[in-house]
Amino acid sequence: MRSLRETKGQMRVIETILAASIILGAVSFVGVLAVRPTSPTYEMTDLEKMGYSALHDLDQQNLLASFVYNGEWSTLRTALKITLPVDVYFNLTVYNLRGAKLNEGNEVVYGDSATFSNAKNIASVTYCLSGIAMQTGTRYTAEYDPRIVVLLITRG
Amino acid sequence: MKPKRERKGQFIIIAVLLAAIMIISIGALLHTAVTYYKHEPWEEYSTLIGDIEVNTRRILELSLANYTNSVAGEEDASILKTNIDKWQNNLTKIYPNSGIILTYLSTPQFQTQSWNPRAAADFMLDITTIGLSGYKFSLDSSLSLSIIEASNSTTTSYTITAIIQSEKGFVPNLRKSNFRVNGAEITAVLPSLSASNIPVYNIQYDGTFPATLEVWDERGIRAVATASVLS
Repeated sequence: MRSLRETKGQMRVIETILAASIILGAVSFVGVLAVRPTSPTYEMTDLEKMGYSALHDLDQQNLLASFVYNGEWSTLRTALKITLPVDVYFNLTVYNLRGAKLNEGNEVVYGDSATFSNAKNIASVTYCLSGIAMQTGTRYTAEYDPRIVVLLITRG
Repeated sequence: MKPKRERKGQFIIIAVLLAAIMIISIGALLHTAVTYYKHEPWEEYSTLIGDIEVNTRRILELSLANYTNSVAGEEDASILKTNIDKWQNNLTKIYPNSGIILTYLSTPQFQTQSWNPRAAADFMLDITTIGLSGYKFSLDSSLSLSIIEASNSTTTSYTITAIIQSEKGFVPNLRKSNFRVNGAEITAVLPSLSASNIPVYNIQYDGTFPATLEVWDERGIRAVATASVLS
């Protein structure tokens, strides 16, 4: 009888170890599923959100269209620098509908070229503008003339 | 005794396996629920919709500015529809993979009184890639100029008091360059409150009377009104 009781106890221990290992295995498997907030999946989404929000905020205040159509590139760069966090670098390009680059020679860039060539995650945001009324002398001219704003952003 | 003990052990293992499957299932569900809003780019969608809405409004404004600044008799009343048609086509080119379809529910039209030009239209937006269908929005752009009083201090020095409002209310920050009266020199533009506490502009000028007052807001929309009686 003594021998039988001892065997029974061993089986319980083995069962407990097996049960514990199965539960631990399950919990660690669930842990593997979780994507950390710093993962590239989130980084791209965050950068895109940031870029869209910055451009949309400037546009709602009628600043983006004014800077783009009046060619105030350095002011636009300053506005974006203020709007975006300090560790976010950007490169903004403006095209017309024919695909011609309109800020050639007036780069709206924050961060050196190495920042973008070495970056792991670069998000691209496209924003369009329809036109603006321009004052010429005492008269206003208002023509439909869309612009496509492409903003590349990355974290330094 | 032996077969009984073995069955008991099997039962515990099966129970634990079931518990493990439950943990994994609940974990996966929680993970999906928590990260859904992170993965789904809601902010990008709302910004894209906002971009289209803001710039469609701008088309109304610039079309109205174009119409009201045209030489008398050469106004093109169809410019609003023409610009919106172009915008509809260009949106599909600018966002080629988004499946954007912008349609107007009623033909966009101008209200052409010179003292209260107005453009209005109702739109519907579909963006097939994000499952957006039938998003309706109404846009309205206007400028209203209403002369409430005209007076003179000398035979050549006049003051016109006018209420200037857009669809959002009082138009602030207008300067001398925003006004013209009979082609005369405007000496001062002073914002103030009327007797009934409505914000008004007092436009002082040296020239002749009756006066045709023209005003341009920052969007370039022009309104014209005439004052023919001195108070």
